[in-house]
Amino acid sequence: MPKRLWNLFCRSRIGRSIFRVGLPASSLDRMRAAVSSFVLHIHPAKVHARTLKFSTTFGLGLISLYLFIILSVTGALLMFYYVPATDQAYQSMKDLEFVVSAGQVVRNIHSWAAHLMVLFVGLHMCRVFYTAAYKPPREFNWVVGLALFLLTLGLSFTGYLLPWDQLAYWAITVGTSIAGYAPLIGEKMKFILLGGHTVGQAALIRFYVLHVVALPAAMALLIAIHLWRVRTDGGLARPEEPEPTPEQMPAAALPQTKTYGLMELARGTTPSVGAPPDDLVFTWPHLLFREILLFLFVFALVLVPAILWNAPLEEIANAVYPPNPAKAPWYFLGLQELVSHSAFWGGVVVPGLIVTALAVLPYLDRKPKGVGVWFSGERKVAIAIFSVCLATMLTLTAIGCWFRGPNWALQAPWKPHVVAEERRP
Amino acid sequence: MSQPTDGKLNRRDFVKLTFGWCAALFATGASAAAGARFLIPNVLYEPDRRYKALKPDDYPEGITFLPEIRTFLIRNGDKLRAVSAVCTHLGCTVNPSADGKGFHCPCHGSQFDENGAVVSGPAPKPLPCPAVSLSRDGRLVIDASQQVPPTQALVV
Repeated sequence: MPKRLWNLFCRSRIGRSIFRVGLPASSLDRMRAAVSSFVLHIHPAKVHARTLKFSTTFGLGLISLYLFIILSVTGALLMFYYVPATDQAYQSMKDLEFVVSAGQVVRNIHSWAAHLMVLFVGLHMCRVFYTAAYKPPREFNWVVGLALFLLTLGLSFTGYLLPWDQLAYWAITVGTSIAGYAPLIGEKMKFILLGGHTVGQAALIRFYVLHVVALPAAMALLIAIHLWRVRTDGGLARPEEPEPTPEQMPAAALPQTKTYGLMELARGTTPSVGAPPDDLVFTWPHLLFREILLFLFVFALVLVPAILWNAPLEEIANAVYPPNPAKAPWYFLGLQELVSHSAFWGGVVVPGLIVTALAVLPYLDRKPKGVGVWFSGERKVAIAIFSVCLATMLTLTAIGCWFRGPNWALQAPWKPHVVAEERRP
Repeated sequence: MSQPTDGKLNRRDFVKLTFGWCAALFATGASAAAGARFLIPNVLYEPDRRYKALKPDDYPEGITFLPEIRTFLIRNGDKLRAVSAVCTHLGCTVNPSADGKGFHCPCHGSQFDENGAVVSGPAPKPLPCPAVSLSRDGRLVIDASQQVPPTQALVV
């Protein structure tokens, strides 16, 4: 019944002016829906059957996108109450917690989704590496993805200061001091970032503007480019197809007189190049249904912890006494561990090398080996190098997270956390 | 371009192109420079780096912390000197060590001796010693913009 009503509406003058195609009844409708709708045109009309297999990507990129959308919506909601002034910011946090209806939950969702986004963007990057999906023609999209990863970290870091509690204040003091170690321009960069010599009102408003306008705008633009290139580079990376067997019709021999034949023309790098016809399935309903299902899963993933646990909020920022130990957010603890040995090497050289290495990776490793295959045996060296670097960073992060006690001394996590007697002079 | 002369640039087009590109580059460069300069503040709403403390007799023997300027005032008999409490590593506030000799940083574990020199840890530089002087009304003035060697002290 609702289906019939909807089709009736879509056939009316107004309905046709908005939707053009009703609920698709035929293959032709499905094609037309995918190309004529703004929301759906991100997809090709048909996708390779591999795309639907969950283990091809584990949906990691799409999960990251969904988290960004959830973060944008909850972030806009938080802006209705948050005041970026040093004497009011912390009070707005308390207002959200105690006064605003559902304020605490919205803040919790925002916080959880931010942590998860760093995690899932990282996992997505690992997936693309381990399936060799960065190889030609997808080199540049890997670089765009790297920029998106850095923007994600930047958004997390700038958002970290806004609650203006002890955690926020000292994480930013430490983080911006690392920027000051960069050769030549370091001090100037820190000064511009903070709008002064110390973390104060000028720094708060700068971080706020970066967090709510500058970085999200850059992120939205890059996401659009990233998705557009996924399509123009031929959809998801997939292994070389075996030569079509005689009973399979080569794509070029398909009838090209029909309207939908246009979509299946075998030219350039569309997903249908060289694919036997049976490997393609319609986006609507197969892919669309899975995408909606995945969104529901992601929403549950942030909503459940947001209801069960509150986002941390420590005492109000105190510019004199750092907490002991003062720790950066978890995704920076690997760097903080390095920085605890040398700020210049750990804070500037190592991250600089990591980013540079990742950026040039697809231009160095170009052999089309193992594309679209998890842990291909043909890329043992590349996989070994990447895995060792990844394991090192994860180990350092784990040490920073669980094995560092007061005064940054090594301490087993299962031992009682002996808080060193605070000798505040 | 008017009248293509078999791929070669005629004088009029050369002048037009040169002028056009120069204007475009100048406009872009000037806007970028102005935008960058815009972000550097000319006025800072920060506390003064010179701090007027109490009179010398108000401070007891040993270490006193002055939170307003994150500096230790150290009294040794009639000698007064100051050591900054801002860790030179990443800007945390250092604490006096439990044994009363020297300082340690809670963030990354740097240790300093009582003169501010680095004993261990990642700190690259010793803690600076701000100049201590007496104002005309007999109160102490600690000037963080002036550094003195740790051996220099105000004798009262």
